[in-house]
Amino acid sequence: MAKNLIDLGELLERTENDRELMKDLLTIFKEEFPQRHQALREAVQSLNATHVALEAHALKGMLSNLAAPEASASVAEIERLGRNNETSRFLESFSRFEAIAKELSRQVEDCMAEVSG
Amino acid sequence: MRILIADDELMSRRLLEKTMQRAGYDVTAVENGQLAAAELCKPEGPRLALLDWIMPELDGPGVCREVRKRKDHSYVYMILLTSKEKKEDVVAGLESGADDYLTKPFDPEELKARLRTGKRILDLEDRLIEAREEMRFQATHDALTSLWNRGVIMELLGRELTRARRENKCTAILLGDLDHFKNVNDTYGHLAGDEVLKETARRLVSSVRSYDFVGRFGGEEFLVTLNNCDPAFGLARAEKIRKTIAENPVETSAGPVPISISFGLLLSQEWGYMSVVELLHEVDTALYAAKAAGRNCVKVAAPKAQPASPRELAAEPAWRRR
Repeated sequence: MAKNLIDLGELLERTENDRELMKDLLTIFKEEFPQRHQALREAVQSLNATHVALEAHALKGMLSNLAAPEASASVAEIERLGRNNETSRFLESFSRFEAIAKELSRQVEDCMAEVSG
Repeated sequence: MRILIADDELMSRRLLEKTMQRAGYDVTAVENGQLAAAELCKPEGPRLALLDWIMPELDGPGVCREVRKRKDHSYVYMILLTSKEKKEDVVAGLESGADDYLTKPFDPEELKARLRTGKRILDLEDRLIEAREEMRFQATHDALTSLWNRGVIMELLGRELTRARRENKCTAILLGDLDHFKNVNDTYGHLAGDEVLKETARRLVSSVRSYDFVGRFGGEEFLVTLNNCDPAFGLARAEKIRKTIAENPVETSAGPVPISISFGLLLSQEWGYMSVVELLHEVDTALYAAKAAGRNCVKVAAPKAQPASPRELAAEPAWRRR
């Protein structure tokens, strides 16, 4: 069984137990995440360090707000690589993040069902 | 209280917006730094702001710098929100003019507590401004009548005369003195005397235009300047003011007190270049003539063919003789 990538307790605390707000945030995440993810992918593929740092920073904010610490830490590492212009490590770090992101997207769906129910 | 939230990331913005609304704030949310600066620089813009550090168009510290450039507005309390944690980042953020700094993801309770600190500072600023305005009013106005005090009305008269000369316009100077005011005090008491002065002030102010000046010149003396008026208007208005003052008795705590006022009137255009003190001396002489003519009338100061001698100018002012 995959580990929980979303800390629901923390998310509830952050939204002050407002389930409607949680639902809103999950909906926004579902809509925004694929675009941001794709933008980061393109930046990584083009080895553009500035764009990588910027896109990774934006994703880090979203993931922090979702209380997804592992995904957030993974993308923070990509941001750090971008800032330090360590282009040779982009692909390796991004693949790790993609694996986490895939599982995270599945868990967001579960979370959404739970909150809506 | 209004608060501005500036964050390009939709989830953050939504979370902040909801958290602030729940805490009772009236929220304006924008998605970039330019919009934030424009909103905060409006004269009645929000005075509390939560600004994301990294934003398109203009970043959070840039917004702080823009807002701090404006000196003529109320203070805006700004908190930067960021994931930057290095000491040099904190220093740079605060150096840009931010008041506080909060690391993302924020804790709702900590955020609200920090905003309460901001509110306390803004409340303190409001109280200081209120106290300053109160002191400014006291320093420039007569305590009993709330008219301009002697120093200020003379200064305003000086400025108005300078402007009138420059633009070749006329200023009418009216010096009024309540008739038999000593008798009012002796007959009805000083409290009623004060009420008469206050009501006279009210009638004077209501008889002039918004851009004319009315001041308390001395005990029962009032100085009125009718700015930018032609001589005929000055004469007619002086007579109208006199009638307004005398029209009805003043209702006081000691009963109705009939009053009247005598006026000296001077039309600046007829006098060429003379100082404020010299003109006041002339209008005071006209007032003295009004008193001598039986009171409750207006006498116009007429220029002499020859300039007044220094001896005459130095003579004891007529008001000391009344």
